Amino acid sequence: MNYAVETKDLTRIFRVKKRRRRRSGSKGAEQDVTALKDVNLRIEEGELFGLLGPNGAGKTTLIKILCTLLLPTSGKAYVAGNDVEKDPYPIRRIINMVSGGETSGYGLLTTRENLWMFSQFYGIPSKEAKKRIDEMLEAFGIWDKRNAKVRTLSTGERQKANVIRGFMTDPSIIFLDEPTLGLDVNASRIIRKFISDWVRETSGRTVLLTTHYMMEADELCDRLAIIDEGGIVACDTPRNLKRTVSKASSLMFEVDYLRDPDKLKGIEGIQNFTYKHNGQMNRTLLTFIVQDESAVADIVSRIVDQGAKIHSLEKREPTLEDVFVSLVGKGLA
Amino acid sequence: MAMKENLRTLLGAGWLGWQMEANWTDPFLFLVYSVAKPVSGALILVFMYIVILGGVAAQSTAFAYIFLGNAFFIYVGQVLFGVTWVIHEDREHFQTLKLIYISPISFYYYIIGRAGSKILIATIAVVVTLLFGVFALGIPVDAFTMDWGLLILCLTVGMACLVSIGIALAGITFLTAKHSGGINEGIAGLFYVFCGVVFPITQLPAWGQSLGYAIPVTYWLEAMRKALLPAQQLQGTGLQGIENIWLVALLAVSALFFYFLSILIFRLGDYLARRAGKIDMTTAY
Amino acid sequence: MKEYLLLNLRALKGRAYPRVVGGTRELSWIFFDTVLPLLTVAAYVFVYKYLGTFEGPQQEYIAQFIGYVILGGAMTAYWMNVLWSMAAQFYWEKEIGNLQLYMIAPMSRMAVLGGMALGGMFYTSVRAISTIVIGVLIFGVTFSLGPPIYLVLVFILTLIALYGMGMLFASLYMIYGREAWHMSSLLTEPIYLVSGFYFPVRYLGSIVALSASIIPITLGLDALRQLMFTETAGIHGFLPVEVELVALAVLSVLFLFLARHSLRFMENLGRKTGRLTMRWQ
Repeated sequence: MNYAVETKDLTRIFRVKKRRRRRSGSKGAEQDVTALKDVNLRIEEGELFGLLGPNGAGKTTLIKILCTLLLPTSGKAYVAGNDVEKDPYPIRRIINMVSGGETSGYGLLTTRENLWMFSQFYGIPSKEAKKRIDEMLEAFGIWDKRNAKVRTLSTGERQKANVIRGFMTDPSIIFLDEPTLGLDVNASRIIRKFISDWVRETSGRTVLLTTHYMMEADELCDRLAIIDEGGIVACDTPRNLKRTVSKASSLMFEVDYLRDPDKLKGIEGIQNFTYKHNGQMNRTLLTFIVQDESAVADIVSRIVDQGAKIHSLEKREPTLEDVFVSLVGKGLA
Repeated sequence: MAMKENLRTLLGAGWLGWQMEANWTDPFLFLVYSVAKPVSGALILVFMYIVILGGVAAQSTAFAYIFLGNAFFIYVGQVLFGVTWVIHEDREHFQTLKLIYISPISFYYYIIGRAGSKILIATIAVVVTLLFGVFALGIPVDAFTMDWGLLILCLTVGMACLVSIGIALAGITFLTAKHSGGINEGIAGLFYVFCGVVFPITQLPAWGQSLGYAIPVTYWLEAMRKALLPAQQLQGTGLQGIENIWLVALLAVSALFFYFLSILIFRLGDYLARRAGKIDMTTAY
Repeated sequence: MKEYLLLNLRALKGRAYPRVVGGTRELSWIFFDTVLPLLTVAAYVFVYKYLGTFEGPQQEYIAQFIGYVILGGAMTAYWMNVLWSMAAQFYWEKEIGNLQLYMIAPMSRMAVLGGMALGGMFYTSVRAISTIVIGVLIFGVTFSLGPPIYLVLVFILTLIALYGMGMLFASLYMIYGREAWHMSSLLTEPIYLVSGFYFPVRYLGSIVALSASIIPITLGLDALRQLMFTETAGIHGFLPVEVELVALAVLSVLFLFLARHSLRFMENLGRKTGRLTMRWQ
């Protein structure tokens, strides 16, 4: 079976010069830095696949290899069945790439001209290209900026234009390297929605998205891999990954001061239960770890039986952050 | 306190400038590179001279005039280029201009510091060109008969003047696009034509001569020639009758005028650039 | 095949576009690129005028030498364009983040370079033509022209070979950092000297002139001078124009061929070392 993306024991080592030490007189010795180590991935056609990891984890290096910009040191990488090392040309016909915070094109050109220029590098007839560009400018809400010079655009507008640049060539596989980096909530939301709609609109379209925003990965991705220090530490659906941390859910109640919270113990379906009084507010904070959410009705009736009023109830699922912490022993930030 | 801060800026910028200039290759290659350009420039004139007059020995005073003018003009090209290029390079390539701009340091000291490395490199190139002229082409410069006082005094005033002009051009570069290389090339070209560098300004039409007399570089180059070859002065240069003291005075006055003019132009360029939002403009195409 | 050709033609048009419209967007180039460079040319004209006041073997040909300088000054524009806007361009593109987008696109890199060359030739020709026109008007240069077909052929072949060389340099500079900038800087004055921009190249001697002929502008400029100043062609010309024409044709093919292969080789080298996308080197 041909995967959209497949890597086998993919390793990339960079050789970097050490700083010269004046006293020791050692002359610019080189050292190896491993950016990727034995990465094995399989991304199926039509998947929206996420790569989640902290800065310096190897996400961009992997994208560069898959985009034919960088060769692996060892191992193999295939895009749509083509070897990135031996057959870069067929790959380039079907891919595109968008990076967060990139400045592409020429500041002297207008948004529309810049996009048109890039469309020509993919051989799209001018008329067709302009039609697509106009439609996408409208969809991204920057139609009014079509004739503005690129250098005058705001960060969000520029990034929207970059995203248009990537998608307007209608690639089969698109690599998105932190596409919402540094954007405000609204701009990020528009871009996320577009990505999600695009991949589902036509079958066979594949997205590889790298991010260190967990919410983004959780919201968008069918499957995701967690990468740290060049290695994949887990790969599954967001839901399954979260289940590996805990199969339970966490419920938090804020109620009137409870004289005897221990009476809440022993309800069927509760795995764990803790409480904390807030004397100043005259409230009690109850936290239940439940295996079975049907226990909620019993909890509520026992609280009400004690004559207390429920002020808030929050159900907290395990997050990808929890998954990440449990797998690599540190946070994402 | 402010002086200490300015000195720190100057040294820091000087260090940065040197790293940018020199750390891309090893010192030997860098030296060859630094010298090959100016020596080639001098050789173009040598060949022009040889082609027309048959050899450098013919009209040796005229040859010395041309060669020395051209050798010291290396400073003009390098300093003007060095100061102006700071703006272009920091703004468009490294995109650090805005960061330097908003920091509390003196921008003048930063630019001068960055250009310091160019002055150093230019000095090496001038010395190598002069040595080539003396030992290979027989220009009769003698360390024992040279007017060292005039040389040191005029070299210092001249350098300050060139940096001032460079700062004015840097102010203009704030406003211009990618082709800012053209300002250095162009203004240096203007001086090359009108300041008696490789031919006496008497060759120019009357209006050109008047322009030449208004530019301090004209007096500076004449002073340099007089310092190096006090006994051998070319006739018909338009400046041959001027006493050294008057030459220095003319240089100092015109340099002072250019200093104030440069500050004014730089401030105006800076203001207009801020108004037009060009401090962090990128214009490559 | 047709599809690939169309793709590359479109890519060529796409890349030429910013160069062509760039000139109309930032009009300051008209001043900087036409009026100011003429000053250096004027300085060399005055040097010849000054030298012409002395007795010497070439005194009677001073008018022609002034014409040579103006022609050399016009060709300087192309050389500068090749160095800074062709050879070093991929370095700029890398710095501003465009190179990686070119590299992942399916078109031939030659099409991108071709687009840059065509766009560059367009605005450089304005500078070159203005140098000649202003030079002629101010310094009163008179030409004695040779066969126009030769003139056109020499000019076109010189530009093809020259920009072919620029493409080759661009490929070599592709993985460079600041070295690219300094290499271009190094190739100005020394090349003005050995290619005879301001005096006929034959005066450098056969060995130097022949060696310098690897730079297309050496022979191109010599042939143009011979064809625009036919009266002194036999005295100041280096090789017969026909020979120079053939040599320029060979150089055109050679540089384009080398550029194509070098681009592929350097791109692979860049992918191997990771320098293709490494900024701020």
